[in-house]
Amino acid sequence: MEKYLYVALFAPLVGSLFSLLFTAQKKNVITALVTSGLLLLSFVSSLSLMYAVHSDMIIHVKMMDWISAGNLNLPFGFVVDNVSVVMMVTVTLVSSIVNIYSMGYMMHDKGYNRFFTYISAFVFSMLILVMSDNFIGLFIGWEGVGLCSYLLIGFWYEKDTASWAGNEAFIMNRVADLGMLMGLFLIYWQFGSFEYDVVFAHIGGINPAVVTTIGLLLFIGAMGKSAQFPFHTWLADAMEGPTPVSALIHAATMVTAGVYLIIRASALFSLVPEVGHVIATLGAFVAVFAASMALVNRDLKRIIAYSTLSQLGYMFVAAGLGAYWIALFHLMTHAFFKSLLFLGAGNIMHAMDDELDIKKMGGLFNAMPYTAILMAVASVALCGIYPFAGYFSKDMILAAAFNGGNYYIWAALFIGAGMTAFYSFRLIMMVFFGDKVYKKLGFHPHETYPFVLWTLLPLGILSTIAGFFEHPFEEFTTRLLSKYDFSFSHTTEIGLIFLTLTFVILVVLATIYKYGRGGFSKQIETMPLYILLKNQYFIPKIYETMIFRPYYVLSRFAWKQIDVRIIDFTVDLIAKILYLLGQRSRKMQSGNLSDMLRWMVVGIVVLLALAIFYRPGM
Amino acid sequence: MEHILSLIVFFPLIAGLFGLVVNKENIKTFGIAVALVEFIFSIILWIGFDSTNAGYQFVQYVALIPQFGVSYYLGVDGISLFLVVLSTLMTLISLVGLNIKKDIKNLVITILFLEMTLVGVFLSLDMILFYIFWELSLIPMLYIIGAWGSGQRVYAAIKFFLYTFAGSALMLVGILYLGYQYYLATGTWSFAVPDWYLLVLPFNTQLWLFGAFFLAFAVKVPMFPFHTWLPYAHGQAPTIGSVLLAAVMLKMGTYAFIRFSLPFFPDASVYFLYPVAIVATIMVIYAAMVAYAQKDMKQVIAYSSISHMGIIILGTFAMNAEGLTGSIFLMLSHGIVSGALFMLVGVIYDRRHTKLMSEFGGLATVMPRYAAIFGVLMMAAVGLPLTIGFVGEFLSLLGFYRVSWIITLFAGSGIILGAVYMLTLFRKSFFGKVTNEKNKNLKDLDKREFTALIPLVALVVILGVYPKPILSTIDLSVKKMINLMERKALLPDTKEFLVKVNSIGGTK
Repeated sequence: MEKYLYVALFAPLVGSLFSLLFTAQKKNVITALVTSGLLLLSFVSSLSLMYAVHSDMIIHVKMMDWISAGNLNLPFGFVVDNVSVVMMVTVTLVSSIVNIYSMGYMMHDKGYNRFFTYISAFVFSMLILVMSDNFIGLFIGWEGVGLCSYLLIGFWYEKDTASWAGNEAFIMNRVADLGMLMGLFLIYWQFGSFEYDVVFAHIGGINPAVVTTIGLLLFIGAMGKSAQFPFHTWLADAMEGPTPVSALIHAATMVTAGVYLIIRASALFSLVPEVGHVIATLGAFVAVFAASMALVNRDLKRIIAYSTLSQLGYMFVAAGLGAYWIALFHLMTHAFFKSLLFLGAGNIMHAMDDELDIKKMGGLFNAMPYTAILMAVASVALCGIYPFAGYFSKDMILAAAFNGGNYYIWAALFIGAGMTAFYSFRLIMMVFFGDKVYKKLGFHPHETYPFVLWTLLPLGILSTIAGFFEHPFEEFTTRLLSKYDFSFSHTTEIGLIFLTLTFVILVVLATIYKYGRGGFSKQIETMPLYILLKNQYFIPKIYETMIFRPYYVLSRFAWKQIDVRIIDFTVDLIAKILYLLGQRSRKMQSGNLSDMLRWMVVGIVVLLALAIFYRPGM
Repeated sequence: MEHILSLIVFFPLIAGLFGLVVNKENIKTFGIAVALVEFIFSIILWIGFDSTNAGYQFVQYVALIPQFGVSYYLGVDGISLFLVVLSTLMTLISLVGLNIKKDIKNLVITILFLEMTLVGVFLSLDMILFYIFWELSLIPMLYIIGAWGSGQRVYAAIKFFLYTFAGSALMLVGILYLGYQYYLATGTWSFAVPDWYLLVLPFNTQLWLFGAFFLAFAVKVPMFPFHTWLPYAHGQAPTIGSVLLAAVMLKMGTYAFIRFSLPFFPDASVYFLYPVAIVATIMVIYAAMVAYAQKDMKQVIAYSSISHMGIIILGTFAMNAEGLTGSIFLMLSHGIVSGALFMLVGVIYDRRHTKLMSEFGGLATVMPRYAAIFGVLMMAAVGLPLTIGFVGEFLSLLGFYRVSWIITLFAGSGIILGAVYMLTLFRKSFFGKVTNEKNKNLKDLDKREFTALIPLVALVVILGVYPKPILSTIDLSVKKMINLMERKALLPDTKEFLVKVNSIGGTK
């Protein structure tokens, strides 16, 4: 089975290197075909690995040595187990679909070959991240996906906003990475190893305070990659990248790496429930916080981006409360319906010449019915309506919050579910139904290529039915992850489901009704709350004025004032004083005999004085 | 093989003297050929080097002034081996990339002379010999900056020379005093480093001598606040000067810390650990900030060097094998990466005769290959895993974490601030639309530039993916040195400290 592991891991790398050869040349469809083929190959290998793992096989390989110094010995090691194989299948499936989809989406882009190079490089990094058997391997993938994310956000580098967003994403992730690195350092000096097996085998014997610290530091890293508050601003700005990238990296895979880290290190986090509580609380906060910003936004992609943030919050709640397999399940279902939603948005953008303002759309259903249906399916799944995929995973997260007695978390998630229903159907209604605003603005939307629609079909199907794999999924993953037992009665469970479902459906219906009749009046836009949400709680502005600009001012000060005015000035001053001393004392050597005699007398007096008064050793 | 070290030291000098009779048209080819042969010699040295032996190899000893114990004493171990290879490699690469026409003959011969002094510094095992090479290395660099520089080149050259020379003067006093101490203790004179390793000095003496050596090394590194000569030197130096200055000459200071300060004065090194570490941390953050404020590409790289040298110092003063091995590896990786970055700035300077970022923008469109190579090296500079830059930085910080987590946290902010100034530089110069007319028809990299840069890019990736052969060779010698420090430490605190930082587990 090792063969499959290597094929799954390295096929994307081969694809990336292959299309790298073509980057300097004109658009060549062969790059897209080869990378797609290799991604599919990776997907098939992952599937067969999943089958092997299903029959209780765990594939663990040490490929080669990497770093060794002092007590540290760090090989490249990979493990395919119940957790990593789920991620592998999800990642390779979504990436294959996105890659094929992009053949249509990027058809006329001059960076065509470059795009496929980056996408495959991303998949390779992501696989390193999920398959590594140690924290440093994970960190390699972690930084690798960060790099690809940077390159792909700034893909259209001629646009200033795009390159700015790329920098923001990279730098903000670096801030969080520092926290994670500190956690890794602490792990090393406690265990002398970075390998999961070694670390988790000895974790019980470690001072709980240290475990707590490690947990918090790792979580800081997870917050950066999964764009949790206060690192969330980069994700919305990352929408500058091509839409397939948003679907793959900034919705389905990379941003969930933080959740994956918590699940992977569940042996560590389950020892310190108070850290888990912090994670769950922050997750619940973000679930509502991000959803609230989606309520008023008019940018098609940003709405979905905030929705992603909010859903990541849900996953963190599950992971924080110890329901690791539920977190992983929601991660998977979310990958399906959220990438579908983004790719649908990509179709709309194509039809609308890259217009993103949903106020300028409306009534697009007639022009692009298939996209509309697929997006509606994704939205229903996102809202968590039976029998679509989101219902199963999301409902269990709410149940887990209730089960642990964390009622305020449950309440937050409940409200979040309502908000999700509202913004999802606000989007659907404003884009596909109502007045055809686009006609007045002179757009001529049309449905995209049929093969593109066909590639979306698997995602549509999975968004619909994935939920029914709940029990096999639980059985499969809990062989490795801890089980999660619900302690409340069946009636409570039914009651909760009923309550949530009714609430969500009511909100959906209300939204459809309201927007079916023209939506809210203009007046609402002058409300303080609306302005606050519209400006994303002024957080980007606060970062701009409190961090970015002061840092630049301080840097200039350090250069102009401290470096040039003080330090270098002092150095030159010392040199000048020495020079001046030389200039002055030159006069002593005037060549005048009487001057020299006078100086001789001074010298003799000094020497005499020394001879009389200086006694060494006294 | 037994004379290989002498050969490596003096071959460039002798070949350089022959260069005097080569005519102007062929001198560059001649220089490249000599540098290539020299590089091959260093590779042969590496191949012949027994990586299971932590001690000095290929040792060559000839007493010069026996009455005073001054000798011609060369040797190589895991700590110096790769610095020698780095010196010969970067000399070769910089000669390949050389593109100066004016007085080319003098320049090539000067470069070869410089190569001799650099290699000599790393191979000397006699303090007097070391001091001679150390000071001699200033002269060719003075000449390179002063004769082929731009703008205020004379001011920059003299500043560089006087500043580093003044720093070294105190070291000479220190060397003589230490020699005298050795004479007092043993009754014989010796300036041989291995002899001095065995000398146990009283604590107070250690403190004073540490200070005397420290100043010389600190100016060379350069450590904050002794760094202001560096921006001037880089600002005015021609590309080849900057490459060799950043890639190799700065490493002389950090190498000397490891070779001399730590094993000569173990107690004083531990005593001064925190002040040094705090200065190093200030360096990391302060230089990164100043780099961010720069308008000139070359100055950004110059200040980034200072910032990275801070991490190297920190790794060195972690006093454990992780940190020390990491800091030596970081010297190599920084040598390759900063050398390549200075060459890249030279590429654009050759075309536009300006290095101001505001003059550029959109270069990725007109010079895609140049942008791609710059991008790879930028990622190595910010320490992305699987590039050469990650390994050393990671190990240095990992090592120092054992000493102090809070200092590591502050110094670790270098990975953030480093990304800030590098990505900003990249964005300003390469991204956006081409607005400046003069940039519209720039030529992408030519064959000469490619030949110089591709090996460095390859090394960045290869050594990032598989650094182990180098690391384990370094590590063996480093462990031996730590062992020595522990054995000769006077104070129980020092011993305890060294044991603690070199072991896993235990207290927070």
